[in-house]
Amino acid sequence: MKHLQYTDLNYSELFDEFRNPNSGAVVLFSGEVRDNNKGREVTHLEYEAYEPMANKMIDEILLEAVSRFNLNQAVCVHRLGRVEISGCAVVVITGAGHRKEAYDANQFIIDKVKNEVPIWKHEFFTDGTSEWGQNCDCVIGTGEHEHDHHHEKAE
Amino acid sequence: MDKKLIKIVCFAGLRKYFGSETSVFVEDGASYSGVIDALKALNPEATEVLPSCRIAVNEAFVALNEPIKNENTIFLIPPSSGG
Repeated sequence: MKHLQYTDLNYSELFDEFRNPNSGAVVLFSGEVRDNNKGREVTHLEYEAYEPMANKMIDEILLEAVSRFNLNQAVCVHRLGRVEISGCAVVVITGAGHRKEAYDANQFIIDKVKNEVPIWKHEFFTDGTSEWGQNCDCVIGTGEHEHDHHHEKAE
Repeated sequence: MDKKLIKIVCFAGLRKYFGSETSVFVEDGASYSGVIDALKALNPEATEVLPSCRIAVNEAFVALNEPIKNENTIFLIPPSSGG
């Protein structure tokens, strides 16, 4: 699917394809896998999605961002399956005439993708346990939670 | 009142409670929240988790107070945690 892939994300290639004579600013965000979370050592992550819906929602988010921030281009690709430490889990690239629009749009896209799109992270720890959905970055701007949700622990 | 069988597809941490798929009976004319109630009855251990879930039909979220239409399969969506 256009916005989801099970293979390594090569953001350099995506970035190189992003040249546009109308763009004075191109911003690239790469969400990468940390080796720790809340004091626990992480071995790797696995991502799962309700794929057709996630792909469709990312498409809609990009269209909204292009229109709202007057972008020349926007791309977002999210990994599925196993991602190793320092691997790229999600990439967002935005191109606009000026940097403010490119930065703001990039943040708008990643926040929406993290908070709204049906994609789930499964974290695996060095002690052999694992947990679902503990990134808890469900905040936009003010630091307030956008929604009150529960994070589920796996065995 | 007649009842109908609804298949529910589950993702991520929800599989611990219901597996990848489960089914519940709801009364004809019930809203989607009736599915959530039936799931709570099916596995009370999921009671804490279910209020944070959303329901999707035909790749779009539906309001829980909306009546269930003709669909026989719905998708139970736990809070997103991508990125």
